[in-house]
Amino acid sequence: MTRDRRNFISGIAFLTPNILGVLTFVVFPVVFSFYMAFTNWDLTLHNQFKEDASIQFIGLDNFIELVTGDRFPRFLGNTLFFMMGIPFSVAASLIAAMLLSSDTRAGGGRNYLYLLSVIGLVAGVSLLSVLGMGSTAMTILLVGAAAGILLAGVTGGLTFYRTLFYTPHFVAGVATFILWKQLYAAKTGPVNLSLEPALSGLGGVVNTTPPAIYSTLFWVGLVLMLGLFYWGSAKLRRMLVDGDLGKGAAVVPFGLLLIPVVVGCIWGMTSHAWWLLSIGAVAILAYHAWVYSQRTDRFPAKASEGFGSGFVIALMVLVGQFVLLGLAPVFGALPAMADTTTGTGDGLTPPSWLTDVSWAKPALMIMGFWAAIGSNNMLLYLAALTNVPGELYEASNIDGASPLQRFWNVTWPQLAPTTFFILVMSTIAGLQGGFEMARVMTQGGPAGATTTLSYFIYEEGFETGRLGYASAVAWTLFLLIFSVTLFNWKFGNKYVND
Amino acid sequence: MSTIDTPQDAAVPVRPIDAMPGDDRPAPAQPPTLPTKPASKRRARGKLPRAYALHFALGVIGFLLFLPFLWMILTSVKHLQEVGLRSWIPGDRGFQLGNYAEVFTQIPFARYYWNSLFIATWVTFLQVFTSSLAAFSFARIQWKGRDKVFLMYLATMMLPGLVMMIPNYQIMITLGLVDTMIGLILPAAFTAFGTFLLRQFMLSIPASLDEAAEIDGASKWRVYWDVILPLARPGLVTLAIFTFMGNYNSFFWPLVMLTSEHKYTLPIGLLAFDSTAGQQTNLLMAAVTMSVVPMIVVFVVLQKQLVKGIQLGAVKG
Repeated sequence: MTRDRRNFISGIAFLTPNILGVLTFVVFPVVFSFYMAFTNWDLTLHNQFKEDASIQFIGLDNFIELVTGDRFPRFLGNTLFFMMGIPFSVAASLIAAMLLSSDTRAGGGRNYLYLLSVIGLVAGVSLLSVLGMGSTAMTILLVGAAAGILLAGVTGGLTFYRTLFYTPHFVAGVATFILWKQLYAAKTGPVNLSLEPALSGLGGVVNTTPPAIYSTLFWVGLVLMLGLFYWGSAKLRRMLVDGDLGKGAAVVPFGLLLIPVVVGCIWGMTSHAWWLLSIGAVAILAYHAWVYSQRTDRFPAKASEGFGSGFVIALMVLVGQFVLLGLAPVFGALPAMADTTTGTGDGLTPPSWLTDVSWAKPALMIMGFWAAIGSNNMLLYLAALTNVPGELYEASNIDGASPLQRFWNVTWPQLAPTTFFILVMSTIAGLQGGFEMARVMTQGGPAGATTTLSYFIYEEGFETGRLGYASAVAWTLFLLIFSVTLFNWKFGNKYVND
Repeated sequence: MSTIDTPQDAAVPVRPIDAMPGDDRPAPAQPPTLPTKPASKRRARGKLPRAYALHFALGVIGFLLFLPFLWMILTSVKHLQEVGLRSWIPGDRGFQLGNYAEVFTQIPFARYYWNSLFIATWVTFLQVFTSSLAAFSFARIQWKGRDKVFLMYLATMMLPGLVMMIPNYQIMITLGLVDTMIGLILPAAFTAFGTFLLRQFMLSIPASLDEAAEIDGASKWRVYWDVILPLARPGLVTLAIFTFMGNYNSFFWPLVMLTSEHKYTLPIGLLAFDSTAGQQTNLLMAAVTMSVVPMIVVFVVLQKQLVKGIQLGAVKG
């Protein structure tokens, strides 16, 4: 027996146990599922009691229903809405990682830190008691917990904080979803029990101030949003001039920045300000075009150059724009909401979160944020931060850079590959996500407000029994994920090598 | 007026080579200085406010993240009639540690624990064992077609698990494995990911080691068992921990597979208890505490390994 032949036999022999399992439970199901996506397989039509009904090949009908129906686009929209939380949690992970990688050793000052926590404990308790916030026991409990965490942190150092930050992510699952369902309970949950007094206080303030302030805040919010639009597009323009961004690659980031403006013009809550948004955006773009045309020192770039970095910047700005766009009408509507003579007459009251159509999604996003601050992303950032060469910081110190300049010019570019990787992985996870929390906390409701694509597949495949249609949804989801992966292949390496 | 050729210059001591150019003056006498603190101590003093600020920021974040757990623990020892009051602390009726015992009388909680441990252990064993065999084949044996098969493994890793769930359920119906432990274990036990991870680990082991063993007449199995496995131990441990935790927490597959209560795993049992507990939030929180605390303990004990594993990119998705 030749050596090649012997190697072949042993190679196959070692592979056999695993590959049999992979073929049976991964490869075959994938092929089978692809076939199912083109059939009308429905458990209510095709089951053991209806032997005559046969499963039919229906071509692209499932996919046509998916695109033309109103459910898939809506649930895709829900999924994308939840994914707007990703930049926030990534930013929070970065901040946590930067705090955790800072030098917190106080040297001989550690004893002062102990003293500080004890003084803080006493001062906090007495202050809160004087202000009469809650019962004395509650005050002692909360301040005591805070001081206890500080004491443990001074003693245990950064390892303690890292463990504490990572715990919500590590234990996230059915148990924490049940916990948060109780936290959000409308009448008995601690969230609303603590919001009630605060909101009724705020309502009193709103009722005694002139409503003109709040309508002004509405416009201020929109102008700030346009300011962000200016800031983001100016950054892109500078990249265009410097040759860091190609003309072809610039189309998508500029398009992203325009989305909130367009949404603001159409959305019912802000549409009466459409003139401000459209004129503002056009003016800003025209200004940039003019500045760009005036520059004679333009550096030519390849059309596809810098797509990744332009995309990341535009994405960050986009989220900020959406936040301001969402906050502006809230401020504008505050006087009407706080008015105790109209509406329900209760003034400002906390929402019933998980059973409220417009608050269920934000509620789940807040919970997701809690679990995502100290996630794997934080650990990846921690590893990346230790790899930033120390000389770069020393050099920037010699140049007299401020901490903010140091962050933007040293830390952030050095972390770019990690950020890109994290964003791609979070996008892929986000597209598939949301099943567990929807199943445990809301059953996809109220009125489908928290149904994501993964929950939709579960609902169609395992509750309604429309296996063919559910498979079509699953394969469409795969196509979305695959396009993100392609995007990563195409631009990831380029961005990483910047 | 130049003094270069004056005889006094000859008396000037020769400049050390490493002195700055132009620095040809004799060192001036040190002016008397006030005694200063050692540099290290001065630096520590300057860093102190910064350290306070950092501890404050870290403490505030940690406190906010901890609050839900604080409420969970305190509610789990409340009396039923004090549930839903504004105060988090058990009131006049005192701490009800009996809540924890009560959970075990209302639902077969110990059974759920056992089922979860049983399934996670078996999946982990099968996963680590078969993946290490396959990884050995991919990383240490040259055979025809190997790279094509490996490419297929890589390709399956891109597919979302959801695509496989529906056909897998039909397979389970055909095999008669619905609502059985085997039906829970088998589909979870074979993944391309485990093989991929261990292959990467094994590739980093020098090839000269197995060549030496083979010259000594060792069979492929001996090389695998005695040479490669011991050296790949960090990888095996990482894969084992992640597989175990993932399956201890697994939700989708048990949810669709299990119908009889005595086979419920911990997440499914908790979900069932969530719908039957009604107003007994205190018991619900006791059950939640009992399923969360073991995980926190495991994390604290194994965190070094876990953190390293995650930073090596050992986490899927």
